[in-house]
Parts: sequence; structure tokens; C-alpha cells
Amino acid sequence: MEMTLLIGLDAASYILTLLLVCIGLVVIFGMMNVINLAHGEFFLLGAYTVVLLQQYAVPFALILVVAFAFVALVGLIIEELVIRRIYHRFLDTILATWGISLALKQLVIVLFGPGSQQAVAPFTEPVAMFGITYSSYRLFVMGMAIIITAIVFIILFRTRWGLTARGVIANRQMASCLGVNTRRVDRVTFAFGAGLAGLAGAIVAPLMSVDPQMGVGFLVPAFLSILVGGTASPLGALWGAAIIGGSNSVVAAIWTPVIAQIAVFSLAIIVIRLMPGGVTGRRKR
Amino acid sequence: MLSVRDLQAGYIRGAPVLKGLDLDLARGDCIALMGRNGMGKTTFVKALMGVLPHISGSIKFLDQELVALPPYRISNAGIAYVPQGREIFPDFTVEQNLTMGRIGKPKQRNESFDFVYEYFPILAERHKQLGGTLSGGQQQQLAIARALVGRPDLLLLDEPSEGIQPSIVQEMAAILRRIVEQEKMTVIVVEQNLELVRRLAHHVRFIENGLIKSGVAVEEINKNPAMIGRYLSV
Repeated sequence: MEMTLLIGLDAASYILTLLLVCIGLVVIFGMMNVINLAHGEFFLLGAYTVVLLQQYAVPFALILVVAFAFVALVGLIIEELVIRRIYHRFLDTILATWGISLALKQLVIVLFGPGSQQAVAPFTEPVAMFGITYSSYRLFVMGMAIIITAIVFIILFRTRWGLTARGVIANRQMASCLGVNTRRVDRVTFAFGAGLAGLAGAIVAPLMSVDPQMGVGFLVPAFLSILVGGTASPLGALWGAAIIGGSNSVVAAIWTPVIAQIAVFSLAIIVIRLMPGGVTGRRKR
Repeated sequence: MLSVRDLQAGYIRGAPVLKGLDLDLARGDCIALMGRNGMGKTTFVKALMGVLPHISGSIKFLDQELVALPPYRISNAGIAYVPQGREIFPDFTVEQNLTMGRIGKPKQRNESFDFVYEYFPILAERHKQLGGTLSGGQQQQLAIARALVGRPDLLLLDEPSEGIQPSIVQEMAAILRRIVEQEKMTVIVVEQNLELVRRLAHHVRFIENGLIKSGVAVEEINKNPAMIGRYLSV
């Protein structure tokens, strides 16, 4: 019983962490159609923001805000310098964002060294419940993932700005002809997605060893989640993260992480083969 | 109000579709642009809206030069565009589609949609319905309403009768006529449907090979339909 509960909690924790990483990608890849291979490095920058600011004893809540703002700013600069020239060139996007990813990673190595650093969780007391004890910070991460996802969806579906962004993505030329400054929308949307990646990195940092390779570990499952979930609706990422994250952590708990990887990739191939538009893809048009 | 001089525009560099077009429009004018396919009617409207990649010449609108401005600046200068094929947002509700029509215009942002719902009651009835589920005629009404909520001075209509049943075309013409009179709108309508042109426009201009050839009052066409043949028959 306790074992099942523990596996369930671990699975939920992994799913929600994955969702947290995905949500920025939902905006940049799912909505804007930019294959941003530097997303893992945006995540990395968020994590290193924690490492750096904790040396100056900055309160954790403030660190999260700074991580979002800083990485959003980095995203804004990268959009202006690189991404805006390659929106319509799919393959060039992969190459360019891969280049950005390498440059950011090397920059982190130059500044912080190649070794792993430690980010400290603001609270570490384990919580006892239903006969088991569980890390309170993991519970915090899960809660944050739910809250941030909800906020992002409210922004996208309930605000004027969200409507504008979705309008620009649906029909750029018409939106422009209706008086929308599409360049500004692109800029803000990309920066918003980047900021979310930074925020995810900052929140997850205390759970992991912070090193220059940490972004890659989440990039692949995050992209997979969105492909499996479907890009037709931002809601797809929820399904994708649940399928990818859930199967991965359950299989890893029962057998081994290696078998889990094989199972997840096989599952992803099968889902994408049967439903090319992803799980949510069919319902739309 | 609108003064176009030596307008050259097209899709490929060095191959302009419009070859030095001139046009003047006073406030309250309502002209129809007619001509055979491929003569540059739609291209002209697109050039006004700023969506063509290659454009030169001059477009003066309310003392502002529009050539080289991005479409959103042109829209916010007071020109609204109802494109061929309507291009409504199929996944947005009727209300959200209308919101898109004024989203870049701070002055209209908090106005109610009631005045367009009065012209198009069906839109009020279906304001929560997705745009993509409306019939062709209703989508056309939505596209026109979306243009109106931005309170434009000049309205560009590209083939508003396309894909609409003949009985509804007459109704559409009547509503447009009412809008033009009540909102004191200046209109350029590109149209092949003579019925709609007769009911809506004051003047007809013929476009041929990227140039505006001649113009007549719409009454002339009513008296002498044969002259249409010269510009429209293949």
C-alpha cells in the first residue's frame, strides 16, 4: 500500500515537474512553432540564477521572480537578434537555436565552471502523511507546477493579450491588418516562454545537481510530451506530460530506468504513429 | 481623403502587377473596382493595406503617407480590410473575432459591439459560437462587422459576394448600403457581381493591366449594361 502510494507520488512529482518544463515550450514550440533547442539552456540559466543569488542570501521567492525576469530578458534579446529572422525557416531554426544552446552552455561553464553546483531548497522538512514521509520541497514543486500551468492557461485563454497572441499565431497577416503589432506580440510571446523555462529551472534546481548538462535531460521528454500531446491545443502538453512522465516513472519504479526509457520511446513512437496530430490533435479540424 | 499616385506593386521584384496606378477618393465616396481576373483588383486592395512585399509610389491617406508602413499602422490610421475569403478566426467565437477587430485601437477598446449587432442581428444571436461553424454568409457578415468595430474611415471590401447565395447577396448589399450611409463610410469594393455593385456603389472604376482605365457613375451602367462587357467579358 505504502509502496503504491510512494510510486504514485513519485510519478505525480515527475509528471508535474515535466509539465513545469513543458509549459514554456508549449508557448514557444506549441504556439509559435519555433523548435527551440536552447530551451534546455533557458532552464539552465534559471537554475544558475538560484545558485548565484543564494550566495548573496536573496530570499527564495525573490529569486524565482528574478529568474523569470532575467531569462525572459535573455529570450527577448535572442528573439530580436536571431529568432525573428528565421520564423519561416524551419530547419534553420533548429540549427540556430542549437548554436544558441551551445553558446549559452559554454558561457555558463566559463562563469561557473564545468562541475556541479548545489542549490539549497528553502525548506527541507519531510512531510508525514498516510503512513509515509515525503519531501516537502517536492510537494512544493508539484503545487507550483499546477499553479503556474493554471496561470499560463488563464493568460492565454482569458486575457486580451492571450487572445491577441493566439490571433497572431492563427493568422498573422489578418491580425496585422486588424491593427495588431505582430512584431511586438512575437517578442513578448517568446520572452514569456523563455521566462517560464527560467522559472521552471529555478524551481526545480534544489531537486537536482545544477550542472551545465542538466538542461538536456529535460529537453527530450519535454519535446516528446508536446508531440505526443499534440500542438493543436496548449492543453495537449498536459496529456503529453502525463503519458510520458507517468509511464516513465512507473516503469522505472517497477523495473529499471533503462527499461523505462525504452518503454517511453516505444510508447511515443506508437502514439505519434497512430495519432500524428497527438492525443488532442484529432478533435480539431 | 485618399490619393494614390503612380502606385507600382506586386509579389515578385521587377514584376509589378500594378503599373503606375492613380486614384483619388473624397470622403463619402463609394466606388466599385471592376475588371477581369488577374488585372490587379485584389492586388490594389492589398497594396493599400500594406501586405505586398514590393511597393513604390505614393498613397496619401488623411495627410499621411502609407507606402512602406506595416499593415497594423495602416489599420490604425483608419483603413479596414475585409479580405477575399473572409479570413475570420475559425477557432475564436464571434465575440472574440470582433474583439480582434479593435484590439490594436485604444479608443475603441471599451466600446460595445451593439452597433454592429444592429446591422447583423444573427451575430448577436450567435456571439458565443465559433466562427468556423458559421455559414458562408454569416462569416462574411462577421468579417464586415470585425472591420467596422475599429471605426474605420475607409472600408476595403474584396469580393464580398463570393461564395454566397444570390438571395443573400441582395440582402448583404442592402445592409452595406445602410452602413455606408449611417456610418458615413468611404468604401472601395472589389466585385464581379453586378447586382451588388448596382445596389452599393456610386461610381464604377475599371481596372485593366494594373491601371485604372476609366470611371462611370453607376447610373450609366444601369442605363447601358453593354459597356460592362468591354471590361469584363473575356
